[in-house]
Formats: sequence, structure tokens, C-alpha cells
Amino acid sequence: MELDVIICGVGGQGSVRASHILAEAAINAGNRARVGETFGAAMRGGKVSSHVRIGDVYGPLVRERSADIIVAQEPLEGMRIGRKYAAPDGVVILNPPPVYPVDVSTGNAVYPPVDEIEETLRGLAGTVAVVNGTTIAREIGNPRSMNIVMLGAAYGTGLITFDRQILLDVIAAAFKPKFKELNEKAFLAGEKAYKDAVS
Amino acid sequence: MNKVGKDEAGMKTLLMGNEAIARGAVEAGVKVGVGYPGTPSTEVGEVLGDLAGDLGFYFEWSINEKVAIDVASGAALTGARTMVMMKNAGLNVAMDTFATLPYTGVRGGLVIVVADDPGAHYSSTEQDTRPIAQYAEMPCLEPKDQQQAKDMAREAFDLSERMEMPIFLRSVTRLSHASGDVVFGEIEKASREVGWNKHFKLPFRWAVYGPPEGAAGRHGWLKKKYPEFLAESEKSLFNNLQIVPGSPVAIVSSGVATSYVNDALTALKKKGACSILEIGFVYPPPEEKMKKILDAADTILVVEDGNPMLENKLKELASDAGLHKKIIGRGSKAVIPTFNELNPDLVISVVADLLGVEYSFAVVPEETRKKADELTIPRSSALCAGCPHLGSYAGLARVIKKYGKELLIVNGDIGCYEQGGYGVAAQVITPTDNATKKYPVASPYEILDTTYVMGSGIGQAIGERRALGDNASKKVVAVAGDSTFFHACLPALADASLYNADITFLVLDNSWTCMTGHQPSPRSRVNAMGGEVPALDIAAVCRAMGVKFVKVADAYNLEEATEAIDEAISYQGFSVVILTGECVLQVLRREGVVEPKTHVREDVCIGCKQCVAIGCPAVTFDPEKKKAGIDPLLCVDCGLCIQVCPVNAIVTE
Ligand SMILES: Cc1ncc(C[n+]2csc(CCOP(=O)(O)OP(=O)(O)O)c2C)c(N)n1
Repeated sequence: MELDVIICGVGGQGSVRASHILAEAAINAGNRARVGETFGAAMRGGKVSSHVRIGDVYGPLVRERSADIIVAQEPLEGMRIGRKYAAPDGVVILNPPPVYPVDVSTGNAVYPPVDEIEETLRGLAGTVAVVNGTTIAREIGNPRSMNIVMLGAAYGTGLITFDRQILLDVIAAAFKPKFKELNEKAFLAGEKAYKDAVS
Repeated sequence: MNKVGKDEAGMKTLLMGNEAIARGAVEAGVKVGVGYPGTPSTEVGEVLGDLAGDLGFYFEWSINEKVAIDVASGAALTGARTMVMMKNAGLNVAMDTFATLPYTGVRGGLVIVVADDPGAHYSSTEQDTRPIAQYAEMPCLEPKDQQQAKDMAREAFDLSERMEMPIFLRSVTRLSHASGDVVFGEIEKASREVGWNKHFKLPFRWAVYGPPEGAAGRHGWLKKKYPEFLAESEKSLFNNLQIVPGSPVAIVSSGVATSYVNDALTALKKKGACSILEIGFVYPPPEEKMKKILDAADTILVVEDGNPMLENKLKELASDAGLHKKIIGRGSKAVIPTFNELNPDLVISVVADLLGVEYSFAVVPEETRKKADELTIPRSSALCAGCPHLGSYAGLARVIKKYGKELLIVNGDIGCYEQGGYGVAAQVITPTDNATKKYPVASPYEILDTTYVMGSGIGQAIGERRALGDNASKKVVAVAGDSTFFHACLPALADASLYNADITFLVLDNSWTCMTGHQPSPRSRVNAMGGEVPALDIAAVCRAMGVKFVKVADAYNLEEATEAIDEAISYQGFSVVILTGECVLQVLRREGVVEPKTHVREDVCIGCKQCVAIGCPAVTFDPEKKKAGIDPLLCVDCGLCIQVCPVNAIVTE
């Protein structure tokens, strides 16, 4: 399997965690994998993007316009990464709730309309799927599982070809046992939401 | 136990480069680990600190890198296997010991891990420390990926003991903060003898000035070891030479650049199409292998993430051999930009050019690109909601307002609070001439006038004061955090106190080394291995250093903080204010997140934006309604915005 994925969002949303889960699962499924993390300091709220590369890969970074899947946990960050990395035939999965930067609250910038972001991403990638991971995670009863919902959505693309259970096992091991069921629900809900979004 | 410490040879798992380096140390049976946190090197120490108790070795976060390298070398002189880690800038702090250590060498394996940061993601410079290893004449390794990072760290201990010399392991952000599959090796359990011998193999071995020949003689001894280093490099498996007969071109690479080259050759379907030399033992580099590459090809592309160090060596070897070869890279015939980090796009384009193949990626239609650029507004980094620095800066901002132009300079330092000098990216600044000016401070992100390196703020404040003379109407301030205070401010504090520099020094004490991910500071009451230690008292240190004006104030009490800062600034002479308030993320981690109660009564809010000016990410503003708001996902009920609201529109009931 050969796949380049970028998971992006803001600090605290669990992008890096999700990318490590995907890479670890890929390794357990017998692949080579790399993750390249790009994030700021320990502060919350900064922009974060994590490149996951699976297959005959050496370095940790995805080349421009060659991400097969972009998982955008936040729309502005989806735009930032999408404009540079979305492959023309790639998939962008967009979680629409914005997290406003200080540039907006201090009145130095206006947050771009999310529908325009979606529209523009459609001009950059083959498929854009809106999956409201934030709402789905809240409905399931664990708002912090948004990143797992979005990982499930990425699995829903069918581009991750190893068995779903390998991912679920890595997810189970990554969190406290009491979250096992909720995370599994979150993953499956994400997978379904992706399929609904593109059908 | 952290998976890095598992005694499971053959296990394959995903490791971050820093974890892989720590694993190498564990496999080598490390006895002492030491460092000072600094991105992107920190996790090497975090993992070792985590494992020290379980595996029975010692780890400490030292007070700074100079102390760390001294602690490390002391341990290694006794024969203990020792690893010390720091970031690029940390090596500058450790330089005195670092440059001297090769004159005596070591007895136990000593591995010095330095993580560089091409692209300066987290650093004040892009400095390449490989040439610094060369300058100290210390052997240097540079891994291409996580597996090699583990293997090199492991092997470096053996190499160090064989050559009786510290080994420099250079990493970069894209290695340290990247992850890859790594297969574990055996953990060595042999217990090594630790002891003391003043005349270990040489008279007065551990005295650089010692007889018979003093330092110059020891330099001669080090020079004589060079052939030994070179021989190790020549036979090192970390250098990989593949000659492709008949190919007129070749690629030489080192470190993570090697991985980019391999990605490029794979994507271009040109694996095996030209001669390559991957260099992992970068100082001294394998001269014989380099000569073979020179003989094999006419054009040689050298790809390295940093200075053209190997490129220049190759040119030297070509010139010595009287060969006229085209050697290109980042040096005098630069085909790769001479600054900023390498990336796979850059590398594939130069590799494609070298091989004479087409490479292009799908171009985005002009209109879409324009639209995408327009929609991509910046996301400036900000202090966390409820951060105590927001309180300190709100107090300082009030004092700045009161003094106006009189409070001329606020020197920054390095820590989370350095964001006080970042500005807000979306703001447009027009630089002006050299007229003396004080700019308005609209947010805490504009409050600092300087930011350089750890500990430089207070020293620069002294210099500014001396240059401005005794002009009492020109106030000079410096700030620093608690970790930075102990790391590099103490000598400048003594200087300011001894010569009574009329400056004000604000210590922003949040009890942790936060910016690098909450390592313990001397204020945290805990050490890197999880043990209890006492907290050092900053006020007592200042008083012991002879500082007459020392005040402690609560960073979350705006009135108290403002008053203390105001008083200190009007004081004639050196004054120190310690603003205390524990890092809110640490408090949340310990006490759990609770639903915030703070909210804005919209009917009362007059839209004055004084709460917005605090710069807290939880305070929002609706430009249409002209009303402030509180983001319940971010707010932690710290109460700062409540204190600035002139009409009591922000409440907690
Ligand atoms: C010489 C050097 N070593 C390490 C670092 C990495 N570093 C950046 S800020 C910082 C310290 C932050 O602690 P503190 O001063 O207490 O401020 P805080 O982040 O907690 O506000 C460190 C260690 C550095 N920049 N330079």
C-alpha cells in the first residue's frame, strides 16, 4: 500500500495523536511508515499538521500536491494545507467548526466563510467530504474523540487498505480502557459519515 | 513502562526520532542521562527521565546546557556510559566545555546529542552544528531516519569507548520530530566498571593544563587521533557507497537529506540510476569513499541540511587530486537555496535536473490559487487562555500606558512569554527611521521590544541603561521566566545588582519550563525522574545577590501586579518583581477541566474591547454586534477579563 495522508488542525484537537495511530497501525499491518509533525511550542491553539506516509517511503514529508487524503479537523487549517498539498485526485475531509485565531479576535483579520473554503477545496482536490466530527463526537458522548471520528472517516475513503481491526486495536491501546467502546463507536460513525457525505 | 524501555529485541514499532535516540542509549546500557530541554531535542530526555527509575539509571534536567555537559563529562570520566542532549542553541551555551573535552577525551562512552532546527521552526537560528563538531575535532554522526538514529546512538557508545572520545550525534527537526518504524535490539546488561584513575592511560589525563605538555600538547595528541577517527569512518556501515559504472552523475548526501534523495529517486523511478554516497559518519567523512565518487562521476550533487560541509570537503579532495569536477549543492555553485530547510520538493527538483528527467507537479489554476491565498488568513501563535503571563502583561501594559514614552524599552527573553514580541501576523507594520519612538501596545503580543536568546534580556537592559545614561525619564525593563532565570540570568543579575543598574527585572514565575512541554523547573518541586525536590526561592536568590528592591506579586491579581511593577519602575536603582501564577495547563492537567462559568452580559457590554486587549484566546469579539464573548471551550475562569471590564459586563454567576 502506498499512501500520503496529512492530518491538520489546531493544538489540542489530537492531530498528532491520530497520525501516530494511523502510522502504528500501518506498521502492524506490515508496511513501512513515516510521520512528520509540524507544530509550534507547547501552547494550545497553534496550527498543527502531521504528515503520514505509508509504503516505500524514506523521508517524513509529503510533496506538494500529492496528499491522497487530507483530514482537516479545522476549516482554516484545511484551507492552509489543502492549497499546498491536496492532490488533484485526492480526498479532503473537512470538519467544519472553526477555531478562531487571535488575529480574528483582535480585529486584524476576518475568518473566511467556511462554505467558500469548501468550495475552493473542491477546485483543488478530487473529492471534498464534509464530516462534522465535532458534532458526531459530542453526540456519541465524548467530544474529545473528534480525531477518532475523523480517522474513521479517512478509513471510509477505502484508500487505507488494511483491516479496520488493526486500527481499532491501536486506538484501544492508545487510550484508557474505559474509552474503548466510545472510540470504536466514534470510528465507525466517522466511517459511515464519510460514506454518507460522498454518496 | 514506556515502550522505549521494553526488553523485546526484534520488536518493530513506530518511534519518534528522539525516542529512537533514547532507545539507542537504553540498548547501550546508559548509566547517566542529562540535558536541558530545548525543542526539537527534548523528548530524548523525557523518555530517559521516564525510564530511569524502571531501568535503574540516573537522569536529570540540569539548570542549563553548560551544567549538563559538565555533569555528563564528569560521569564519563569515571567510565560511566553517558548521554547528554540539547538543542542547537544549547550547544552555544555548553561551548566552553564542549570545545575543550576532546583534548582529554573520555573513558566511559559519552554521546552528545544536539538537535538542529533547519527552517528555525523553534529556534533563533538555523545554525548547523556539524561544523561545530568539526571545529572541536570531535567525531560526528548524522542519522538518515529513525532506525538509523537508534542504531547510531547505540553504536556511538562503543565508538566513543574505542576512541576514548565523545561522539557527537547531530539530529534535525525532521528526524527528531518525525517518526518511523524501528526494530529494537538487545538491551546490554553488562555492568561496566565505574571508578577513578587520575593517570588513566596518560599522565594527568583529566587536567587540560597538566604536565607534561599542557593544552597545546594535548591538541597534538588529539591531532594524532584523527587517523583513528578517519579509519572508523572509512569502515563505518553508516556510510553507504554505490557506484553505478557508466553513470556520469552522482549524489552525495547526509542525514535526513539522504531520505529525501531516496524519496526522489523512488518517485522518479530512478533507483540505481546513478552513483550515490550516503554519509552517516559526517566528521571526519570517509575520504576514500568520497574519492571513489569523484573518480566515478563528472557531476556530483551534494545534498545536506545545513552548511555545505561535505560539499566543501569534496571540493578540497577534488582540488588536491587535481580533478576538475562539477560539484554542486549549497556552496559556491548553489543549486539549492542557501538558507531554510531542505524539503522533498526542492530535492526532487534538483535530483530530476541532475538526472535530466522531467518533473513537475499539477499546477493549480490561477483563480483557485488566488482564492485559496485570500482565504488562508494567518493563525498567529498566542498565549493559552488563562495563562498567567497574560496577567503579568496586562499589568505591565497598564504601567506602560501610565508612563507613556518614558517607559522606553521592554526587553524580552525566551519562553512562552516571548510571544510578547511576535506581534499579530495579520497586522501590517511599516518600519520607520531611527528616531526614538514608543509604539502603542494594543495587545500583549506587541509588548516586547527585543527577543534574542535565553538570558540576554536582562544583560541587554543593563547595556541600554548605560548607553542612555542616568536619564531617569527613560525607563528600561527586562522580563524572564523562572526556568530562564536560573538557566542564564544569574550572572547578569549579579552584574545589575553589583553595579546598581537602574533597570526593572520582571520574573514571570509559572513554576515550570513550559514552552518546551512542561519539564520541571527549579520551582516545580519535582525532578525529571518524578522524585520530590525542594523549590528554589527566586526572591531569596535576588536578596542574597544584594538586590534591595524585591517584590512578589500575584500575576492573576491585576491591581497587585500593576502596583508592584509601577513601584519597581519608579524606584531608582535595580529592582526585581516576581510575578507568580502556575501554568494553567499544568493546573488543568492536575485538577481536571471544569465547565467555565465566565460569560458576558451582552446587554451591559459597551464593546470597549478592553477585555480583548488582554490577548486571551478565549475572549472573542463580534464586530457586527460590537459585543465581547467568552469561548466556553477555552475559558478556564481565570478572572483576568473580569478585572479589566469597566462596566462589570463579564461575570461568573
Ligand atoms: C540555550 C537554549 N536552551 C533551551 C532553549 C529552549 N527553550 C525555549 S524557552 C525555554 C524555557 C522556558 O521556560 P521559562 O523561562 O520558565 O518560561 P515559560 O515557557 O515557562 O513561560 C527553553 C528551555 C532555548 N531556546 N535556548
